[in-house]
Amino acid sequence: MSNDRVGIIGIGQSAFQARRDDASYPDLVREAVVLAMNDAALEFDDIEAVVYSLSPDAMVGIGNAERLGVDAVGARNKRFLRINTGGATGISSVAAAYYHIASGACDVVLTAGADKVGECGDSQTVLNKIWDPTYERQLPLGTINMLGMSAIRYMHAYGLTEEDMALVTVKNRRQAALNPNAHLRRIVTVDDVLASRCIAWPIKLLDSCPQSSGGGAMVLASERFIKERKLEAVWITGLAHCSESYWLGDRMGKNPAADHADAFALGRSFQRAYKMAGITNPYEQVHVAELYAPFSNTEYHAIDAAGFCKPGESIGMLREGQFELGGKLPVNPSGGTLCTNAIAVTAMIRVAEIALQVWGRAGAHQAKGARVGIASGNGGDHQFFGTMVIEA
Amino acid sequence: MAYKIQPGVIGCAIRPAIAAQDRSLEEIIYDTTQQALDDAGLTIEDIDGIIVGSNDQLDGRAISVMMASGPVGGVDRDILSTPSGSEHAFILGALRVATGQFQTQLVVSWSPTEASSIGEAERLGADPYFHRALPLDELSAHALQATALEQRVPGVREVAASVLAKNRRHGALAYPDPPLHPKPGPARWPLAAGTTTSPVTGCVAMVLATADFIAERGLVDVAWIRGMGWATEPSFLGDRDLSTAPALAAAAQQAYKEAGITDPMMQLDVAEVTDATPYAELLAYEALGLCGREDWAARVGDGTFALGGRLPVNLSGGVQTFNPVFCTGLIRVAEIANQVRGHAGAHQHRNTRNGLAQAGSGFAMQYQAAIVFGREREKRA
Repeated sequence: MSNDRVGIIGIGQSAFQARRDDASYPDLVREAVVLAMNDAALEFDDIEAVVYSLSPDAMVGIGNAERLGVDAVGARNKRFLRINTGGATGISSVAAAYYHIASGACDVVLTAGADKVGECGDSQTVLNKIWDPTYERQLPLGTINMLGMSAIRYMHAYGLTEEDMALVTVKNRRQAALNPNAHLRRIVTVDDVLASRCIAWPIKLLDSCPQSSGGGAMVLASERFIKERKLEAVWITGLAHCSESYWLGDRMGKNPAADHADAFALGRSFQRAYKMAGITNPYEQVHVAELYAPFSNTEYHAIDAAGFCKPGESIGMLREGQFELGGKLPVNPSGGTLCTNAIAVTAMIRVAEIALQVWGRAGAHQAKGARVGIASGNGGDHQFFGTMVIEA
Repeated sequence: MAYKIQPGVIGCAIRPAIAAQDRSLEEIIYDTTQQALDDAGLTIEDIDGIIVGSNDQLDGRAISVMMASGPVGGVDRDILSTPSGSEHAFILGALRVATGQFQTQLVVSWSPTEASSIGEAERLGADPYFHRALPLDELSAHALQATALEQRVPGVREVAASVLAKNRRHGALAYPDPPLHPKPGPARWPLAAGTTTSPVTGCVAMVLATADFIAERGLVDVAWIRGMGWATEPSFLGDRDLSTAPALAAAAQQAYKEAGITDPMMQLDVAEVTDATPYAELLAYEALGLCGREDWAARVGDGTFALGGRLPVNLSGGVQTFNPVFCTGLIRVAEIANQVRGHAGAHQHRNTRNGLAQAGSGFAMQYQAAIVFGREREKRA
């Protein structure tokens, strides 16, 4: 039998909150690292390389803040590099750790990071700086109004309503209530969502993710190491990234390169990951999904892009309860990004949660019998998309 | 060699100093990417994935890879970014090729000079409580490292002056008609004015491929990766002995082990090191196993590391000739890849079969990398 697979052998995540006044930024990284190292039952001497997960420096207020995290991840005099693909950073970091092992360079790699989004002052002011300083920054664009425009495009193309958006929040909050690590765990109703303050129409406060503080860490290892040490693992069987244009204007107008309603590059990324994993019919072959969706409307085009249905059909399927915990194909059983968003590690938590699901270790939000799961991460101005297939 | 597939470098474009008045940064990145693809004889359609090394503070953007995804051809492609260092982009690109899951990778990095104060941009990278108020920028960190070495190694200032003169001499030969003449850097005790070089705008791109792809396309000028090592020191300067480079020693050990290098002075033909200061170059000699500090004066004095010496170091003139701050590391890697490929131009070293690139970055070279290239592809059982 082949020894070429890459496995996940340890997972650590904080109980995410709005603030962590008790912990500095490196403390939060260390918190997750300790949990992951204990989960893997390894010593730091076993770790050959570290991939550091950190999105915009400005969110932490320190340039190249990964340098301050070197001791927190135990990387002194070891292989160390940092990944940043915006919101996708977490899954991109897991992918980079995977490449360290799949290349043959290392047997055991740690990936870790943390964020204090709610403590950064104003995340939207920081995120405005992702856009071109001459044309788009002054509009002023933020990630909320950017995805509000996507919701409007999706409404126009597929008949999405504000109530449909609210249904996503209701589902994900119900699931987050079962996840002790989720940040927003209060159950809400459709009426609560519709009555909440408008942020950037049609996105309302309860259609929006929180600004979370907390850390995430994962330990990956080669199949050879896992077998030699007789460790428990789940396996990364498919992974890919794909990118869209930087310019939002190229996704709108009469002849868009890729319509802003959809998630074109997320779909392409999933197709590549499925091909690698040998998945030809995701709706039948995938049992559970953690799809990066920071605003309620974006869960629909993420479900479409995952190939579970034709574009727009996700609206009816969600109403039928297919994507509920207990439904045909649970989506975001952890509550997802909509309930927890510590940006630097959000997409890593998507991977971690799917690993826990196919491992059968997800606790109260376990999807029954899940053996094959998928995770995704979105970054930039809905530009960088990472996807992964995890199997038991 | 630890890798499943041995990666090779098949194209490089080094633009170490760009007079950028008539081109935007996006256009500079596009031009450099196309030049590397041309050098490899490929088009963007041949590229499976891209790794970008860029720095938010110097670019004046959050997530600076976003802007670049168009100029590097990232749309509909698998693109990742390593803001920790330009050399890290190369390492990750090489790892991806080594998996065999990608046939090719494009690696691109740049460093602009539009920031109103590069020192202030660097100061944001210091922790806000202890170091930022010093104030700490890269020049200050280099000066602290020089101080530490002067305390430990009597006479090192004179040796450093010789290293500086060597690299400037090499630079004048390598770039007899440079696109612009960099200005000498300011003084920061004990670094006298002109001991460093002021920042310039630069950009660099490299193309990597698998052996199968290289054979299929009939490419012959290949720099095969024989070994790679990379490591970091902690960030708090008080936790470090700045007169040593333990992370570089660790990185060199990794790279030499993979490459089967046991006597680097005898097995290597040429090297490029990140000589942000001549003191950093001396530390690199030691950590790379080329020359211990007790022999610095003698080996520098007898020209061992100069053109015509046993192991010429920085035939390009190094950072002392051109200092595009963030991408100097990847430029060292590209310079050695070009030496091994026989594409180094005016500063091509004769009969180069094996070369070593060292890249250091961060405050007083916190991040270190060592990469060994060879002209011959590894023979495997």
